[in-house]
Amino acid sequence: MSDEDVRSLLHQRRCAEAFDLLLNRYQGKVFRLVYSILKEAARAEEVTQDVFLKMWQVLPDYDGRASISTWLYTITRNTSLAALRADSYRQTVPIADHDPPAARWEAGPRQIEIKQLVERLPGVQQQVITLFYLQEHSVEDVAYMLDLPEGTVKSHLHRARRALADMIRR
Amino acid sequence: MYCHEMQERLLESFEGDLFPLEKGQLERHLSQCVECTRFAALQSQLDLRLREEIAAPQLSSGFRSGLQARIRRQRREPWPDWLPDVAHLTGSGVAIGLCAVLLPLPVPVVLGAGILVAFLAYSLQTLLVSAVEGQIE
Repeated sequence: MSDEDVRSLLHQRRCAEAFDLLLNRYQGKVFRLVYSILKEAARAEEVTQDVFLKMWQVLPDYDGRASISTWLYTITRNTSLAALRADSYRQTVPIADHDPPAARWEAGPRQIEIKQLVERLPGVQQQVITLFYLQEHSVEDVAYMLDLPEGTVKSHLHRARRALADMIRR
Repeated sequence: MYCHEMQERLLESFEGDLFPLEKGQLERHLSQCVECTRFAALQSQLDLRLREEIAAPQLSSGFRSGLQARIRRQRREPWPDWLPDVAHLTGSGVAIGLCAVLLPLPVPVVLGAGILVAFLAYSLQTLLVSAVEGQIE
């Protein structure tokens, strides 16, 4: 199954089948991209549903200019960032009760330390290194999902690895 | 300078296989450079921990059914979009007509006042609907 099959189904106005194919192919990737931004599985799942619901609404209007995956990842990034903003507005807990950043990851005690270190990286490095490990170490996938050149992804990865090593050494 | 280059090559090795020539150069350098050997050990340890600890969560078994339910809810539009407008205008027309017949006032005055009130109510309703929809989005 390729994006070409989805295009062909859309061309024949078989939107429901096209949507099913998209869901089968991309639900995991979309979920991981959302998770890399929101860092909480339950919320990421909810936002993944929002993404596919939007996709379902706009799929009949797809004009074929951009690739379907580029379109889907753009919707995913925008929806996740909007959810992140909405969540941060809703968080009105007093500072003293607020968990440290690393606690936002769903993690056991042993995982806290490395994730705390990752949380100290600049935003884009955090996202790139997280997605790299979530996406089974594919620079190509990460570049595509974040709409960045592969060279830029590699450069962020290298900086992140050096920074993490420095933090561990200290 | 050479160490930095070798360290970059080492970092690239975590993203995929190096060419045999590059791999050979890196291994030779590591066998001679204590600093880069330490760097390599630390990076390998870091890579291992990141692999272990940044694990992809799985979508729950209810993901698909939840999405399908939300899609069904969207599909089910109980009222057509134009229905509230038609209901409002019909109701206003009937009310104005009754007032014109029953009230002991000149008909043009009742009609004028009725149309004005109906227009104001319609404008308020439109404002309210767009405010609520804006909040939902």
